[in-house]
Amino acid sequence: MNKSASFVLYDSLKKIRINGEFKGSIISKCQDKIIFSDNIKISDSDGIIISGGLLTGFEKKEKIVCPISKNSDFKWNIKDIPLEYSVIIPEDTMEQYDHGQFSNEFPYTINLLHTACLLLNDPKYNLNHLDFFKGEILKNPIAMIRNGIIVADRVVIDDNGDPVFYDCLIIGRDKNEDIKISYEPIINVDDEVMEFIIILGIEELKI
Amino acid sequence: MLLFENKEQKLLNLLKFTGSPFKKFVSTGEIEEDIGLVQSRQEFLHSIINILNKNENIIIPVIGDVGTGKTHLYWALKHELYYFNFVYISLENVVKRFYYNTYSEFIENMGIEVIRNISRTLCNKWGALERKFGFFHLAEMKKVKKAACEEWAPLFENEESIMDVINAITAHQLDPYKKIEVERWFLGEVLDIRELSRLNLKHDLREKKNAYTMLKVLVENAMVNSVLFIDDFEKIISMMRPIPIEEQTEEVFDRSWLYGSKESPEKNAANKVLDKIVQLNKINGLRIVITLKSTDFYKDIMRKIEDIDSNLLKLVNDPIILSNFIQDDIFTFYKKNLEFFFGHLNYFEYFRDFSQSYYPLNEKVLNYIFTRTNGNPREIIKFLIKIFNDITLSNENLEDILKEYH
Repeated sequence: MNKSASFVLYDSLKKIRINGEFKGSIISKCQDKIIFSDNIKISDSDGIIISGGLLTGFEKKEKIVCPISKNSDFKWNIKDIPLEYSVIIPEDTMEQYDHGQFSNEFPYTINLLHTACLLLNDPKYNLNHLDFFKGEILKNPIAMIRNGIIVADRVVIDDNGDPVFYDCLIIGRDKNEDIKISYEPIINVDDEVMEFIIILGIEELKI
Repeated sequence: MLLFENKEQKLLNLLKFTGSPFKKFVSTGEIEEDIGLVQSRQEFLHSIINILNKNENIIIPVIGDVGTGKTHLYWALKHELYYFNFVYISLENVVKRFYYNTYSEFIENMGIEVIRNISRTLCNKWGALERKFGFFHLAEMKKVKKAACEEWAPLFENEESIMDVINAITAHQLDPYKKIEVERWFLGEVLDIRELSRLNLKHDLREKKNAYTMLKVLVENAMVNSVLFIDDFEKIISMMRPIPIEEQTEEVFDRSWLYGSKESPEKNAANKVLDKIVQLNKINGLRIVITLKSTDFYKDIMRKIEDIDSNLLKLVNDPIILSNFIQDDIFTFYKKNLEFFFGHLNYFEYFRDFSQSYYPLNEKVLNYIFTRTNGNPREIIKFLIKIFNDITLSNENLEDILKEYH
């Protein structure tokens, strides 16, 4: 395994694996799904263990596609790990992210009770509710773009129907395929490059 | 090229145009005083500052006769102790609804932003910013309230009022739809029963226990320490004394029917206010400065405090006596006032041309004023107002005017 930036705990592409028990704000990309957790344990003997993580993405059953956010435990053997990467967000970046949340000061944000899909760029299903929410502020959006993940505090759909994310954590790969983490107070993304946007339901976060 | 200029006449003309530099002889807690204390009072000022810096809970009695500058001392302390939150109340004005009025003064002094910060910090401390799955802040109000109750239950006496305060703080931070209404509650606005029930509150801050609890929360959690300056403290004693017959107003009913025959309503009110002020000592970090007109009042107050709780006497500092001006003070006081006045008018030639002179007055006149007034600052200002009114308003020449004051 290679040496890595200190926030990368596991990277299958670059063959990075840091053994140990980590606590903090951890994002793991698992195929086309994302796992949020406050802990991860990596060891040669037990593999990778995440307890009480939130799995979010889509469940596809024949003709129906359904956005999910499930609270569950994960355990993978060392030889059979489906994770692409796991990163722990540095505490100073998380502090920036916390400071950027102004929902308490701004009462007109829509909190969805149940997890819903805002956009899915899949030719087979093709879901797009951006126009429906034009001009609204939605809380807790999660987006997957070709090469990365955006976790934002809120998203607003602008006049062109493009999502504008506020208070965002961005996890992605640079041209050398190294994983990078950054914080942006605002980011405008063309909906064409999006794979999906999921709005996390507040009730499902509480479970 | 200007060969000669009558600078003194120019100054007199300017004074006639602008009016007197001495306008008011009574200092109040509302109108800021910009001129600092005279030299002989600097040591006095620093002794108070030392006591305030060294003690967390203390009552400092300042005794000074009428017009010696007790209220002016408040402004001097406020300017010097800029790192304290310095709040003025006069017992002449806040005998009724004491806690509510005192809290209002604190809020006016500190501003709503302080309350917002306190509310945010407290909610964070009680777990409002806990990150679920490492990322998501969930406003679990019940959990936050439970943590708040566990932390505060041993610290506060009145359960009902502490629940109101916890409900208000958690709603302010965690329920964005109630935030504005809760801020109105924080600011002491009168809310009707419907608004209160929407916020899950029993009373607004007119309820004395709520006002006291909020005051305690505000003072104990603010970033800066607080000093409460209570002016005219002898009001309590004067209320307790029976009203002389000649000052009594004619009444159409016997007041003992309502208030009982043992105590007059004024005495009853005075006792209540004293009890409330004594309760302020339970607020950690609140320093109190009280002003009294004489040592007799001080002794009476001490006796009353001892009757309530003799342990409280330990918190009362030895009285500090504010005496009249010494002779040198009148000169510095006069110069400071004129410099401030002309500085504000941007007439900086005064500093160049009259730095060594007391023009339009002179040493003789200032000495005369000092002797006539025994150095009482208010009487000195009254004299100066009179002289300067004569100078600015009359057509007599200066020498003739000053002849009266030799």
